[in-house]
Amino acid sequence: MATDSITQTRRGRSVEGKPKFAVAFTAFFMFILYVPIVVVVLFSFNSKKSLSVFGGFSTRWYQQFFHDEALLSSLRASLLIAFVAMLASIVLGTMLALALERVSSRPARITGTVALIPLVTPEIVTGVAALLFFAGLGMKLSLFTVILAEITFSISYVAVIVRGRLSSMSDDVEEAARDLGCTPFQALRLVTIPTILPALIAAGLLIFALVFDDFVLAFFTTGVDPQPLSVRIYSEIRMTISPAINAVGTCMLLVSVLLISLSLIVPRLLGRKDSSLDLISGG
Amino acid sequence: MTDQISTSAGTENVTSETPAIQLIGLTKNFGDTTVVNNLTLDIRRGEFFSLLGPSGCGKTTTLRMIAGFSDATQGRILLGGQDVTSVQPHKRNVNTVFQSYALFDHLDVEGNVGFGLKRKGLEKAEISRRVNDILELVDLDGRKTAKPRELSGGQKQRVALARALVNRPEVLLLDEPLAALDLKLRHRMQVELKEIQREVGITFVFVTHDQDEALTLSDRIAIMNNGVIEQCGTPEDVYERPKTVFAAGFIGTSNLMTGTYSAGAVTVAPGVRVELPGHPELIDGSTSSIAIRPEKIWIADFEPDMVRVHGTVAATVYHGATTQYLVNISPEIQLTVVEQNLVRSRHDDRWSDGDSVEIGWKPEHVVVIG
Amino acid sequence: MSLQVEDAVVDLTTEKRRSPTRTRLWGALLAPPAIWMVVFFISSIAIVVLLSFGHVNDVGKAVFGFSLDNYKALADPVYLKVLLRSAMFAIATTVISLVLGYPVAYTIALHGGKYKNALVAFLVIPFFASYLIRMYAWSTLLADEGVVNQLIRDTGLSDGIRFLNTPGAVVAGLVYGSIVFMVLPIYASLERMDTALIEAGKDLYHSPLQTFFAVTVPATRAGMLGGVLLVFLPALGDFVAAQLLGGPSTYMIGNLIQQQFFEGHNQPLGSALTVVLMLALLVFMVFYLRATQRANRET
Repeated sequence: MATDSITQTRRGRSVEGKPKFAVAFTAFFMFILYVPIVVVVLFSFNSKKSLSVFGGFSTRWYQQFFHDEALLSSLRASLLIAFVAMLASIVLGTMLALALERVSSRPARITGTVALIPLVTPEIVTGVAALLFFAGLGMKLSLFTVILAEITFSISYVAVIVRGRLSSMSDDVEEAARDLGCTPFQALRLVTIPTILPALIAAGLLIFALVFDDFVLAFFTTGVDPQPLSVRIYSEIRMTISPAINAVGTCMLLVSVLLISLSLIVPRLLGRKDSSLDLISGG
Repeated sequence: MTDQISTSAGTENVTSETPAIQLIGLTKNFGDTTVVNNLTLDIRRGEFFSLLGPSGCGKTTTLRMIAGFSDATQGRILLGGQDVTSVQPHKRNVNTVFQSYALFDHLDVEGNVGFGLKRKGLEKAEISRRVNDILELVDLDGRKTAKPRELSGGQKQRVALARALVNRPEVLLLDEPLAALDLKLRHRMQVELKEIQREVGITFVFVTHDQDEALTLSDRIAIMNNGVIEQCGTPEDVYERPKTVFAAGFIGTSNLMTGTYSAGAVTVAPGVRVELPGHPELIDGSTSSIAIRPEKIWIADFEPDMVRVHGTVAATVYHGATTQYLVNISPEIQLTVVEQNLVRSRHDDRWSDGDSVEIGWKPEHVVVIG
Repeated sequence: MSLQVEDAVVDLTTEKRRSPTRTRLWGALLAPPAIWMVVFFISSIAIVVLLSFGHVNDVGKAVFGFSLDNYKALADPVYLKVLLRSAMFAIATTVISLVLGYPVAYTIALHGGKYKNALVAFLVIPFFASYLIRMYAWSTLLADEGVVNQLIRDTGLSDGIRFLNTPGAVVAGLVYGSIVFMVLPIYASLERMDTALIEAGKDLYHSPLQTFFAVTVPATRAGMLGGVLLVFLPALGDFVAAQLLGGPSTYMIGNLIQQQFFEGHNQPLGSALTVVLMLALLVFMVFYLRATQRANRET
């Protein structure tokens, strides 16, 4: 009977056993994932001006970076943009998330869906739209216009993350706060916000990294000087091939990786079971 | 010990006669659906009052309206004689224990319990004192600095209780607070809850779907169904003298039989006449429903004035302390009989499936409904 | 039945209801972000659509209008080729991401054990590094003088392979750039799936592969759809990968749009191109929503 062969096959692979092919594939996948990053970092320390032959260890490109006033002003610009965008989008995004989670009227539902659109819209569309918007208003492109544009799509990110955290929080808690003497606003301030604070911090770190790295949107909405770091690098890339770019790139990578790692760890440190990891993958 | 009836209401004209809660014509509609239908109810000071009923009967909605989380569509709610129908929850002198406990994750036990007192603006020292006292009462004084996520279900429940009680409300509302606990813990908590209520003397309004719980804990029970109160009374009233078919069937087994009354008996099935002596008010030819509790039915050792009926044992269920017999007195009517395993503690002494038996009961144990 | 009554009926079974007395606070919270989104996002999109019907006047300035000239211009085979190519690239990227990403998600979800969270973290971290930097990295790796070709020459396999400026490089770049957005949703839905289903499947089907396709894949349909959404749309509108890893022969819609705005200075035409891209996205969204509705109904 066929039952024997079935039993045999069953003994071959089980959920508990680890099929070697899949594991090898995943390992290879991770390897490929990190190869470009490793290469960028490696060659940023190249003593030769080459991206294919590694001469020896040297920090000359970093020294060059930190003496390049134009690059440094771009770095400062990017940090400023990311910081302001993070603050504004956390505030506005959280307000949006709170309102959407608690209000079930039709306009609220529509706003909720609209708020998600920037997330799935390619940046080039939002970039073009922002550019034309500022042009139409007669606004000169500058850091300010970049910040405004970055805030808009960041709000969507924050709203999604915070909503995820809110929905796992039972709304009995807010009622309990009101039961114990809080006005609705006090309940928000004293109970809801502190409860979602780790998610807010994680979202803030995430947004900072995203905005700091962002290229397309910044490209369309930046002024002439100062330009965000990603835009400046882009023009450099078009013109030269130099490990100097690798140095800048490595610095940017460092900032991003640090922030993302923090956003994954901080909520756990604050005693939360969930973290931005769950927020991203579960959302 | 402090005064038996202690509240922080501070109203002048409150006598011990003024009900703690009065619901007058309370109605709640959601769109076209009426969830609570013209409820009128008085809950007395210091009593442990239960709202009992199946899912969807409106008991939780009623509780939420008393708390202020739901607006009444019609009717009034009086708290200690004062109309609070349109008063916001944070201004009402009631506190709620939620089914999900609703503890504040970012505060420790002390912070949770003292939260309401802090809102009231009490002094730190006073808050600390009261929190310690209440934690001692609920047996949690060793866990003041614990965070909610470190606590077990039973401990969280007690924190929720303490957090509500410490504010000395006029009324404490409890929304199925023991539903999430396992059986043994639930029974223990029931006992503790009853003791605490006796000690602090605050009026408790307790929502549950568990009839045993209601019978155990309550001074009075209101059985609700489809937004109306089927019956309101002491546990004994409700159990021994159910007034409606629903009330009879909801608590325990009722062995309800319906038939036409004539000449002192009810014909509940073709050829099956159940004697019903002592009811001169019943009219010949009218339809009557009668109910009799399983433990009131005898299956042997009859007394002379008992009403007797023939039947066949359909099933025997052994429950350790008792044996339950399912007896068919007609093809459609099966009565449940419960007997203590006192005389017949051995298997051989009891009846088994298929046996032909006679069952009987005292006439005063029959309840006529409707 | 009105929506309210439906809600009430649903709530009846859960015995919980929400009071509307708090809408004032929440309405106040909703207003500022809603206004922001309307002003900065919706109206800006509207401007794009409006300008697509405009033209460039004699001084070279973009002007609003009512003509379909820009769209007519797009009917030119030159543009159509680019549009088609973008669609092909996006589809290829999505399919490859799905094929490569699913096994990774599967391995981590079902065989990750206690390393699961760490693995996902390792997966996620590179993707929050700058997209630009990552594409740049590949362009240096795959350049004619790059590391990969050096290795190839050193091992004597060949004289060097032209990687860059090919459709393959662009698609590979696109895949690399967004594959994690395929892995994460699939991982999430695998996590949510009850592994008992797989065990049950093994009792019914003869091989693990059959079980996989009959049980696991349908159960993760929502995750796959989510991944497809998150990969296809950005790929369709990408221009960085095509710019750095490709050349004029691999131009995508994104490159054309960028050209019109920065080099061609024909903003109305660029707007028209953007609108075409938006329409493509809209069509895709409709398919996606229908597909998820179907998937939800069947679960």
